[in-house]
Amino acid sequence: MADTSWTNTGEEALLDKSKSNRWKFIVGGLLLVAAIGYLVVNAMSGSTQLYKTVDEFYAQQARLIGRDLRVSGYVIGDTVEYTQIDAANSRLEFDIVDNPAAPGQRLHIVVLNEPVPDLLQDHAQALVEGSADGNGVFTANPGGLFLKCPTRYEEMEYEGEGQPAVQPADY
Amino acid sequence: MIADLGFFALVIAFGVSIYAAVAAWYGNRVDEPRWVESGRNAVILVFPLVALSAGTIIMSLLNNDFSIEYVWRVSSIDMPTYLKVTSLWGGQAGSLLFWNLLLALFAAVVMMRKWRVDREFMPYVIIVISMTQVFFLGISAFIENPFTRMTVIPPDGNGLNPLLRHPGMIIHPPMLYLGFVGFVIPYSFAMAALLTNKLDDRWIRTTRRWTLVAWLFLSLGLILGGRWAYDVLGWGGYWAWDPVENASLMPWLAGTAFLHSVMIQEKRNMFKMWNMFLIVMTYCLVILGTFVVRSGVISSVHSFAQSAIGPFFFAFIVIMFLFSAYWMTKRREDLATENQINSFLSREAAFLYNNFLIMAILAVVFLFTYYPIFSELFTGEKGFVGAPVYEQATAPLFAALLLLMGVAPLTMWYKTSAKRLEMSLLWPAVATTVIVGVIFALGIRYWAALLGMWIVIFSLILTLIEFWKGTRARMKRGENVLTAYGHLLSRNRRRYGGYWIHIGVLVMAFGIIGTEVFQQQTQLNLQNGESLTMGNYEMVFNGVERFPGPDDLLITEADVDVFYNGRFVKNLNPRTELYTRTGQPMTIPAARSTISEDFYVLLVNWEPTSSTEATFRVYVNPLINWVWAGGLIFVIGTLIAAWPDPRKEKVAEAKRERMALGVGD
Repeated sequence: MADTSWTNTGEEALLDKSKSNRWKFIVGGLLLVAAIGYLVVNAMSGSTQLYKTVDEFYAQQARLIGRDLRVSGYVIGDTVEYTQIDAANSRLEFDIVDNPAAPGQRLHIVVLNEPVPDLLQDHAQALVEGSADGNGVFTANPGGLFLKCPTRYEEMEYEGEGQPAVQPADY
Repeated sequence: MIADLGFFALVIAFGVSIYAAVAAWYGNRVDEPRWVESGRNAVILVFPLVALSAGTIIMSLLNNDFSIEYVWRVSSIDMPTYLKVTSLWGGQAGSLLFWNLLLALFAAVVMMRKWRVDREFMPYVIIVISMTQVFFLGISAFIENPFTRMTVIPPDGNGLNPLLRHPGMIIHPPMLYLGFVGFVIPYSFAMAALLTNKLDDRWIRTTRRWTLVAWLFLSLGLILGGRWAYDVLGWGGYWAWDPVENASLMPWLAGTAFLHSVMIQEKRNMFKMWNMFLIVMTYCLVILGTFVVRSGVISSVHSFAQSAIGPFFFAFIVIMFLFSAYWMTKRREDLATENQINSFLSREAAFLYNNFLIMAILAVVFLFTYYPIFSELFTGEKGFVGAPVYEQATAPLFAALLLLMGVAPLTMWYKTSAKRLEMSLLWPAVATTVIVGVIFALGIRYWAALLGMWIVIFSLILTLIEFWKGTRARMKRGENVLTAYGHLLSRNRRRYGGYWIHIGVLVMAFGIIGTEVFQQQTQLNLQNGESLTMGNYEMVFNGVERFPGPDDLLITEADVDVFYNGRFVKNLNPRTELYTRTGQPMTIPAARSTISEDFYVLLVNWEPTSSTEATFRVYVNPLINWVWAGGLIFVIGTLIAAWPDPRKEKVAEAKRERMALGVGD
């Protein structure tokens, strides 16, 4: 080997070292990427939800019964009902629809032992995690009711003639 | 009409931005500095124009001019003056105008700085900033116009959403927006460096403080947002992995990776391409974040394209990304690095691990946030990823990052001897194990929490040792502890400010472990005089009062006494406020805060018909105040790191000047 080589052997050794280092980094990196892939797949397996609108839900109802779902819809204000069953139990119920301007099918939501969210107002967009039984009652998971961010609030339409869009409550 | 003036100013600002870009481009092309200078003046002019436009909105808000739809939507006659002013960013159209105002301010400040050194960057910086302004001013003027008129003038407005009438919510959007627009500046310098092929670290040094300030504001925005959620939203938490939150977290993560990896380029002239990529990604995530925060496309079931401004944003991001990617590819040889990482145990390797972990977290958050879109694309069925999945996937990555935070500062550039590293880790590890042993002995058996606490305490000890080593070295020169420590900070602001940021993060992490793992909650209906017990707490319900408040408020306030281990500690008044005009209620929690935990009470329900009973929801949130304290330390650390040092400024400028002349280091 010595007769064919004219390069500085020290430099070559250094180059070799950096090359092997590079391989180590690439192999190490790939292993780490695989580990992260495992973390992601493991976390997601069985924990992702199907995301449905009310109409989509009814279209595939048979298939969706009992599955962990996330449904989205707009709250019908006068269906909101809060019942204190006993000291430790309460039930919150309301209906949601896809389009409040042209209400189609309603989905009945039941939320147990949770407070009434401040944002649970007429036309508010609700996201509910939970599952449906055969009678079309959708029961939310604990902590599974979300109301869309308050900026929604400004999307109320003005209904003209100096009348506020939302009537003052009866107090 | 004042609104016409505002709209007119906005349209002129739009035109002036187009002019700025064209003038800078032309001046650079024909080598006529006059044109570039004119472009620069045009960028400066955009600020007063947008300020005038925003000023007219504020005037209209103050004058209750409900002929303007935006004013009607977010304001009302009896709202206090400060809220009328801050309503500028209380709704969609106004907040976009406000975004424009902040961008124009940053752009004007950049343009007014001394350009002696980086003059060849100027035309490109003008072009990039102006293109961004053209886009956002265009959206503001022609699509989400805050000056739209009402056909019928209503006598009064809706009023600002009560949930937004919180100090945290008044400061939070400006902070977030300042963070967002701030990153436009380093991006524009990066593009300038790329286009002029001046690819040394000058663009990084020039924009270092901009980046840090943008990052600080973004951090503040995130922390204040969490605080607002905790105080106002009433679910006892501060972070929900909501798509809107993630949209602000992602540019923060990319920016954090960037802030760390630029140090390798400065020190070892490596990672040039990577840094370029990071700033491009940060910029794209900022634009994407602005869009997501404003439109909520992901949380609604409607897809990206259905939102009115969606296609515009999407097109803009794609254009900017392709533009950046094209130039990065074109300059790939100049961005290549001759230097290599020599050892796995070196400072540069540690930065590499840091970047890897942050990018991994970013990738996971990105995948999960946009999972509804991806899943629909690939399976035809929209899926969703909830908070527990995020936590499960990112917790190990965050833990590794926290560990690295303590160990990395002990490594040295080029190579660290394993023996030495072991020696400096051994005793802190033993001390940490003893402390965690005590925590175990106190009855905490949850292994993940113990592991998390071990990592946090270990890194905290290592960071404090770094401070001690630096201070002791100075004390040997005869300085007393305080002077030595003060000098240590002021002479190495970036390094020791950075360590303070690490301490802030570690303290926050300690709090997050506490609240995530050990939070308790219950909900119970009580009769007058009854009590509920949770852990060491007992809460006695004394009664409820209902009375009118200021404006149109109707306040329902409960009176409860809190006992800790049988001893009276505090009287609390959780309440609900009803804005009678809009029918919007607002639940206001009351809490007994200590350094170890919050006892947090919500008045859930009270019926006037059966006024002797009420329903409460109660949380015990262990270590929650560590989250806020850590946030405060974090902010102070960032201020230390970003604070200008006049002596160093001069040296740094001289250095940049040498680099500009090609003399190098």
